[in-house]
This record gives sequence, structure tokens and C-alpha cells, in this order.
Amino acid sequence: MGNISLISLYFLSPAALLLLGASASQGHSTQAHKAKTASISQNASKSPDTFPKDILPLIKTYCGTCHGEKSGSAGLSLMAFHSSADVLKSRSEWEKVSQNIETSHMPPEGNPQPTKEQREQLFAWIDGTLSKGVCDVRDPGHVTMRRLNRDEYNNTIRDLTGFDLKPGDSFPNDDVGYGFDNIGDVLSMSPLLMEKYMSAAEKISMAAIVTPEMAQHPAVINLTAIENSGSLSPDGDGLFLPTTGSEAAVNYDFTQPGEYIVRVKAYGQQAGDEKAKMSFKLDGVVNSSVEVPQTAKSPGTFEFAIKVGLGKHRLAVDFDNDFYQPRDKLKKLKEMDRNLVITGIEIARPEGTKNSIPASNRRIITIAPKTPQENDKCARIVLSSFARKAYRRPVTNAEVDRIMRVVNLTANTGDSWERKIQLGVQAILVSPNFLFRAETDPNPGDAKHAHPVGSYELASRLSYFLWSSMPDEQLLKLAADNTIQQPAVLASQAKRMLRDPKAAALADSFAGQWLQLRSLVNVSPDPAKFPVFNTKLRQSMQTETEMYFEEIVKEDRSILEFLNSNYSYVNEPLAKLYGLSGVTGDNFRKVTFADDHRGGLLSQASVLTVTSNPTRTSPVKRGKWVLTNFFNSAPPPPPPNVPVLADDKKGPLEGTLRERMEAHRKNPICASCHSRMDPIGFGLENYDATGAWRTKDGVYAVDSSGTLFGQKFTTPGQLKNILMEKKKQFTRCLTEKMLTYALGRGITTNDKCNIDAMTGKIAKNDYRFSALVTEVVQSTAFKMRRGEEGTH
Amino acid sequence: MMSLPMLEAMLPLTALAQSAAKHRINRMAFLFVPNGMHMKDWTPATDGAFELPWIMEPLKNVKSSLTVMTGLTQHNAFDLGDGGGDHARSSAAWLTGCHPKKTDGADIKNGISVDQLAAQHIGNRTALPTLELGCERGAQAGNCDSGYSCAYSSSISWRAETTPVAHETSPRAVFERLFGNGDPNETAESRAKRLRYKHSILDFVSDDAKALKSKLGSRDQVKLTEYIDGVREIEQRLEWMEKSRSKSNISAASEPSANITDYGEQLHLLSDMMVLAFQSDQTRIATFMFANDGSNRSYKNIGVPEGHHEVSHHGMDPVKLDKIKHINRFHVENLAYLLEKMKSIQEPDGTLLDNSMIVYGAGISDGDRHNHDNLPTLMAGGGAGTIKSGRHIRYPNQTPMTNLFLSMLDRMGVPAEHIGDSTGKLQQLI
Repeated sequence: MGNISLISLYFLSPAALLLLGASASQGHSTQAHKAKTASISQNASKSPDTFPKDILPLIKTYCGTCHGEKSGSAGLSLMAFHSSADVLKSRSEWEKVSQNIETSHMPPEGNPQPTKEQREQLFAWIDGTLSKGVCDVRDPGHVTMRRLNRDEYNNTIRDLTGFDLKPGDSFPNDDVGYGFDNIGDVLSMSPLLMEKYMSAAEKISMAAIVTPEMAQHPAVINLTAIENSGSLSPDGDGLFLPTTGSEAAVNYDFTQPGEYIVRVKAYGQQAGDEKAKMSFKLDGVVNSSVEVPQTAKSPGTFEFAIKVGLGKHRLAVDFDNDFYQPRDKLKKLKEMDRNLVITGIEIARPEGTKNSIPASNRRIITIAPKTPQENDKCARIVLSSFARKAYRRPVTNAEVDRIMRVVNLTANTGDSWERKIQLGVQAILVSPNFLFRAETDPNPGDAKHAHPVGSYELASRLSYFLWSSMPDEQLLKLAADNTIQQPAVLASQAKRMLRDPKAAALADSFAGQWLQLRSLVNVSPDPAKFPVFNTKLRQSMQTETEMYFEEIVKEDRSILEFLNSNYSYVNEPLAKLYGLSGVTGDNFRKVTFADDHRGGLLSQASVLTVTSNPTRTSPVKRGKWVLTNFFNSAPPPPPPNVPVLADDKKGPLEGTLRERMEAHRKNPICASCHSRMDPIGFGLENYDATGAWRTKDGVYAVDSSGTLFGQKFTTPGQLKNILMEKKKQFTRCLTEKMLTYALGRGITTNDKCNIDAMTGKIAKNDYRFSALVTEVVQSTAFKMRRGEEGTH
Repeated sequence: MMSLPMLEAMLPLTALAQSAAKHRINRMAFLFVPNGMHMKDWTPATDGAFELPWIMEPLKNVKSSLTVMTGLTQHNAFDLGDGGGDHARSSAAWLTGCHPKKTDGADIKNGISVDQLAAQHIGNRTALPTLELGCERGAQAGNCDSGYSCAYSSSISWRAETTPVAHETSPRAVFERLFGNGDPNETAESRAKRLRYKHSILDFVSDDAKALKSKLGSRDQVKLTEYIDGVREIEQRLEWMEKSRSKSNISAASEPSANITDYGEQLHLLSDMMVLAFQSDQTRIATFMFANDGSNRSYKNIGVPEGHHEVSHHGMDPVKLDKIKHINRFHVENLAYLLEKMKSIQEPDGTLLDNSMIVYGAGISDGDRHNHDNLPTLMAGGGAGTIKSGRHIRYPNQTPMTNLFLSMLDRMGVPAEHIGDSTGKLQQLI
């Protein structure tokens, strides 16, 4: 819960907290969806305060040395607290205290330690006290309207049109908050992005819908638009290619993928023994070479069939056989010069294309006019139906009227009916109703009363959580009759959706960010030290972890397998890296490991590489990665005025990495955090900076022993066993991360109690992945909403 | 003629801009490099006329256009009690002169940057108010530096205190923004029709936005306001396109390829785009991040396989120091490419470089110490006759870098009184 302090300040001002605390308790319905609103309230408990008698003495004894004076170590003085009321005023500090006690991180090694019982008593008291304040509060928190992020945009376009165009790939990266890029408050909208949305909408509408204009007429390339390494021909009738390799080229923007015919009109200024020859190249690769026997009197037409994807492709014609002989009076030779002249380039659809309408056409154009009188009626039907899907809810007449006003501009312009639909689709795709997922409150300024999320909004919450895409028809239907609000329906839908291939989005977006796999593309291990590393291996690393994650999702396995297991997925490049034999080819397959060198995320090359420097491992980064992503206890940033390494010693460092770091840790300021991070990193030193197993680092033998949570280990396998014992903390961390991702907001102190309860239920369900997802979608925070505090 | 150095503070605001030839266009750009500089081989040994230090040697052909400035400082990039995070602060404060709020969550806060401030005043004179370029996208996961949001380390350009401006990393995409999709076959008629349709779509979405806004709470409304601002800016852009009926004379040959894998090539192509944008007067204001701060990019091509950030913590190790200075020089080689290109373009009054102010530098001085005073800074160009270049000027250390920005804004005709921690205009530029 390292982030709590900031979040609570942001979401709940002290005044609002007071307001929540002070409001009288009201009964709330057990079935939230039936209740119009539920009051967010808490009971003031009236039992004698045990803090002064039971807790304060322990704190004084074990914490007082460092956290005693006014501004104690890490800016925390525990002597300023005299009652549980004081404790509740500083939740975030005490949450850290609770965590540090539970994980045996505090008191630091070498200081007097509480007994096991005392430690448990301290933890139970703090945890219980902190829970008491919020468990009665059924606060769903406030979610700010979310803009579709790049992945969501891509997937939604795919599901709307049936075309996987991925226009979002060229958008600027979405801002990240609380570790994820789908946080409403953080997702901003810039003029640049708006421009990209406009241009993407135009491209999508043109790719998804074929108009008669596009299908029938070939595109004639304007000669002046052709990039020409030669010049205009002497007669000015074409492009003059004078020497071998001279090229005339055009970057043509194909608005629809598919097959095309490129017609090149050309002639030769013939000379010498052969006729002029030319090559046609697509994106720099020779497609075919032909002889051009024609002359200026009657240029020839040459057709080249190509198949292209959407977007710009370079079409080029090269002159292949230049010949030149200067005039020589003595030998009575006249000047001879062979050249190639291009007089035109056309791009056409092959015959029959106009009949083979793409599937996206049928998906969008559900009804076409048979007579011109039906034009408006059909346009209205087609566009309302498209808008309903795009807005993920029923559309109002006023909204459709507005769309029709745009498309009616095509009247009397000679544009076809299909062009009209294109325009409507283009408009819908830049509407804020499409780009944002707005959820409304009956009273946007009321932070005190929660209400169920609207049924369509709930369908979208569900689909963007599990699919990063729009709801399908089944979800929309369940929203239409509100059955989606029923807990059993919600749970069974979640299970159905997890089995759908679209759930791969969870691996991509959730796991990609949770595990920082997205940073893998930015690492570049030193090729001199790691010659095996290349783009293919990098991709394989990523695929392994994604498949491992998907296995746990699809097979509904235990989330503890993220920590440890005896299997994974490898292909040949990875198998070589891991020293496994008998795996050939690029295809991935499941393998079971014979020893404990591999198993779980921590031994996967993706994670090990992303936490390394280009030339060496970084135990600090690995340790920080584990604490952050598995236990949500990222160490605080270095305090101000931390002495830099340069002051520690002069000249290059010597010795093993461990010796060098241990020397650094002699500084007590550094030690307080590094004593948590470094042992984990040292325990993983058997894996080099690309994840290969090693027993030596340079000339030094690898020493992967250490102490974690008060327990000793000597191998990575033993380290993982210790991590496995922290089931509850890990589950809690993953629950928090997933809830953050599902809600698109940061976690606040008011979520603590819910998360505790969810963690408990997930444990009862054998830590199954589906239990985690079910708990998230059934949570108050997911199903309910409230207005913002501090406004109106 | 011998003259006393003119004191800018004595001149009325924008007097310099006025004194410059009436129709002479001036431009400004800010080019950012990460992780500090090897200061020993960056700082010229003498003041006034100077010998190019080792890192600047690639700039020999444009030396007379350089003004190297020593002593400029971004005080607000220091921790000021906030602890670690100098990389994030260095980029966030570089053009804003503000102290960014330490957060990795929703409540990022910085200040408006000099380029955006200029755009507010003179952005409407060109099709694009500003152009933001960079080689690295914003980071995609987690916080970027000791509890600071990635927005800080990947954005030098800030439209408002809570709104960083994303930069474009693909030269091809920049080209398309500048010159449209470049369908040269499009007739004037169909172009006019397409623009008319776009206008009508923008009207439509504005209506939708208004209808939606009325149902939302205040924080959601902030999001919609951003949206509406974006729509408005595109409307202005369309109006520009309609006005400029004549096609730009940029040949299709300038269009960069879509697939670039090499960093050096990306730097060159993005530089080309910036020069094209200035040359064709599509914009007069640009920012360009050669890399985000804290970048751990490896420079294998010049024999530095380690990450840049990693070696920038050199601990006085001579091997690491040597590597840093090679990275510094590699970046300067690209600067030389860009400046020479600008110098080769003739305009009615001098070259494109003569009519520009190109600031190049880092937000950290020494990468190991993370200090933000004595920042490595140079300006190239004559500012349309308003800057006396070919000099190394040593200012007292701790001189606010924002004073330089005020002087530049003045030369752009922007009547700004202050920006960030500025205390007045920078002296001795002319």
C-alpha cells in the first residue's frame, strides 16, 4: 500500500473524510442494484482505547530509538501518537508501519527484535484499527471519465469494423498513473491526439466501407507527383530515366488493403542491340522485370499485380539497361543513347473487386437502399446501429439527428450513398461519446451517496477490463434488461469472457504493465557480452511470459504460480538460452522443468532482462521489481542528500558486484532500503543479464545466498520458496493492481477493507485466477459509483 | 563601429523584435539531450571568441553562428527538499523554470514552457503553432524516476501546468502532419469538399461535447474541455489549409521512410522535418528531445554498449567519463547536421540559421552529481539579426536560464513579463 498517502490526499480531502465519518449511519440494501442509492457511512465504535496500554509500550521499546525524536528516521516520529484516534489521522504512515512489521523489515537487523507474539500482536492491532475506520464505509470511490487508450482504441476499432487496422499504434503513448495507462484522471487529450483521431477516423471509414467511386475508377498518378531520379523527357511527355538504376517512384497511400493492378505506361528510346528493359518494384523489392520494345509513337502499357496492406507503399519503376555510344567521326559512329520514358502510372482494383465487398461493409451496412427514396431512411438505420455499438449504449434521436446533419452535406455533390455512410462513420469515430467512456451520476456533486453503475456502463466496465474492448452483443443485451446487475450473471459473464480469445488483452495490457514487459523493447544488452541476444530472442522472451500468463487465465490456475511452478513455454531460441535440449523451431510448447532453476515469473528471461543493465545484472533493480510488483512495497526513493557513489570511493570499483554493493551498504542511510532490495537481487544472481543460468560472474563464483523476511536462503529456488510463504501479501498486491486496472483509478484508504476481504475470499477459492477476477467485478468499487467530493 | 553592449532591460518590450527588419521571420527551437554533459570538454576555455572544445568540434562549419552560454541555471530542477528524481525534474523544469510536483499519480503539476507560451501569442501565425519532436516515446510502465510520473522525464514541452505535450517520434508521421497525406492527385474541388466535410464533423463533435458536458461532474468536464480545445485547434488548422490554396512545393522525395531502426537515422530524419517545417513556415516554434531524461539507451554504434544513464554515473572513472563524452559528441554531430542544413537554406535576409534561435543543451550539468546549475547551453543562429554570435559568454553561475527565454520571447515578438523563475532579460546577447 505504498501509494496510499498521495491517493488519499487526492481523492479525499481531510474535510471530506470528516464528512464521511460524521454522517449518520443509514441502513443499506444488501442488493446494491435494487437500491437507488446507498449512503456511504460508518459506525463510530465505542470501545476502550487499547493503544496507550498495549501498543505504545511496544512501539517505544522497539521503534523509539530511531523514530523517537521530533523528525525521526524516514521523517517518521512514532512518539507523537497517543491514541488510536491519532493513529487514524495518519493512516498512510501506519499502513507502512503495519507492512514493515508484518514483513519483519523493521526493526532493522542488529536492533532489538520483538518476539513473534509481540510482532503478531502489533500487526493485528494496527491492521484491525485501520480496518475499523473503513470497513463500514461502502465507498465505491470516484472514477473520472476514461478516454480510450491506444490498446482500447485499436481493439474497439477491430471489433466495430472487423478490420484489425491498429491505427492507435501511431498515437502518442498514453500517460501512465498508478502503474497503468488506463487511469481516467491521467489520460489527457492533446491537440496532437485529436488530430490523430481525426485522421484515423477518416482512414478507418475509407478502409471499412467500399464506395462505388473507389471500386470503379483507377487512380491516375499525377506525373508531377512522381519522385524521379531522372528528369522530364525531352518531349515533355513523360519521366525520363537516363541511366541504369534511374527510378520513378511514388509513395501511394492505399486506403484499403487487398489486390491491385499497377499499370505503367512506358516507351524506350531504343538504341543498341537490345530493347529497353524496366523493373517494377514494390517497397523496394523487384516484383517483375519486362522488356519495353515500344517507342514514343505508341507507348506500351504494362500491368503488375500486387497485394498490399493498408497504408503507404512505394511503387517504383527502374531503368535496367542503359546504353550509350558517343559520336565518333573517325569511326563513323553516330551517337546512340538508350533511355526509358514513363508516361503514366495508374492504380486499379482487379476486375470483380467491386462485387467482393469486405466483411466490414456487411458488418456496418446492414441495410442498403433499393431506391433513391430510401437513401435517408437506410442511412439513418445504418448509422444509428453503428453509433449504438460505438457509443456502447442506445442512442437518442437528437444524437442521430446530429449525425444525419453531417452526412446530408453530401446531398447534390454527386457523392454516392456509401460515401455518405463513410462520412457518418468518420464523424461517429471522433465523437466524445465514442472516444470517452462517460459514466453519469444522478448528482455529480454528491460524494456521500453511492448508486449502482448504469447497466450499459457496467457492461463497458466489464468488457474494457477483460477485453480492453467494447461490449459484445450478449453484454449489450444483458444491459438492456438490467440482468447484468445480478451478481450471478456478472460472475458467469466474467468467466465466459475470460475464455474468449479477446481475453488475451489481459496478458497484453494488464500483465504487460504489471510486469513491466512493455519496457522489454527498450533494453539492449551489450552484444559483445550477450551475443545470443537479438530481436527474435527478445520477442520470444515476451511471448513466453504472455503465454504463461494466458495459461493461468485460461486454465484458471492458481495465481501463486506467478511466484513459482515447474513449467513454462519455450521455443528453440529460449530453450537454448535456458540450456534445454530437444526443442526445435520457433513454435512455443509447454515444458516441465526437472530442477528448480526455472519456474515462475522470476526465472523467466523477460523479467530478468528487463531488470538488468545492458552490460550486467542489477540486483537492486531486480529486488525493487519484486518488492514493487509482488508485494506493493516499493522502497521509498533515496532521501535527499544521499551521498553519491563517487564519494564512497575514488576510481573504478573492484571485486564482485556483491562485494561492491555490500561496501556501499555500510552507509546506514543506504542500508535501510538496500537491505530489502539487494538480498532478493542477489538470490537471482544465478541468472545473467539476459536470463541465462550461470555459476560464475566473470572470474567470480556466483553467491546467491541471503536473508529475506528473516529467513536464510542459498539458491534462487529457496528464495522462491520463501516468497511462496507470503501468499497473503502477494494476493493482496495482485488484487490491488488488478482493481486499479479494472477501475481506472488509484486505490484509496477506503478500499483497504474491501481489498482485505477480497484477498481472503481468493485464498478460500484456492487462489484461482477466476476468483481474483470475480472478486474484482463483484466489488462495491466496480459495481457502484458516486459523485466527486469538493465540488458544487 | 564600436558600441557599448546594449542593455536589453532598457529597451521597451518587443523593441528588439521591432527593430529587426519588418518582414524578417524569426524562429526558435529547443533541443534537449539527457543525463548531463562532460563539462570539461564542453566548456570553451576562453570567453568571447573561443576555440571549439572537443565535444563541439563537429560544429566547426557553423562556429560563427554559435553563442555558448556558461552559468545558466534551472534552480527549480534542484530537489528543494523533494529528494531523488533529478532526471525527471531536469526535463520538466528545463523549459518551464518551475518546480514539478513530486507524484507518480494523477496530480502532476509543473508550469507552462517557453515554447507553448510563445505559441499562445504567435502560434496563430502559422499552420502549426508548435512542433514537438523526440526520439523516444513516453515510458509505458511504472513511474520513471524516484516517484515522479513518466510525464516529467519525457516532456520538456508543457501546454499548461497539468498538461505535458506529447512529442512525435516518427519522421514519417511528422511529414504527414506537415504536408498532409500528400495525395497529389486530389483535385482542388475534392480537397475543398473534404475540408468542408471535416468542418462539419468538427461542428458535430462540438455539439456532442456540449451535450455530454452538461451531464458530467467537474473532473470529467476538465477532460472534455481538453477535447474541445483540441477540436478548436484543428478548426484553426483547417482554416489555414483553406487559405493556403497553393500546394506546398515540398517534393514527395522528402517523405521519410516508415521503417527506421537506427537511432542516428531517426535523429537525422527528425532534424530534416524540423528544418522543413521552419523552411516552409509551417511553424516557427519547435522542441526536440534527442532522448528522454534518464534514458538508458546503449550507444553501440560509437563503442558504448552500456546504457547512457548507467555510464553517466561515472564516479570519476576515466573510462566512463570517456564514454560519456563520446555520447555527448555523437549528439552534437547531429546538431551539426541540423545547423549546417539550416545554414544551406537561403532566405531573403540571410540563411534560415541566421533567422533562427536554436537552443541546445541538457537539464543536468554533471550526470554524476545531478546538479542543475552551470547548465551546458548553447544557442545557434542570429535570431533574425538580433544576436551577436560567435562568442562564449560567461554569466555568473545561478543566472536563471529562464532569463534567456525572456530574451528569446522578446525577439519572437511575444510580450512576456516573466516565465518560471525569471528575474529579467539575459544581457550581452547583442
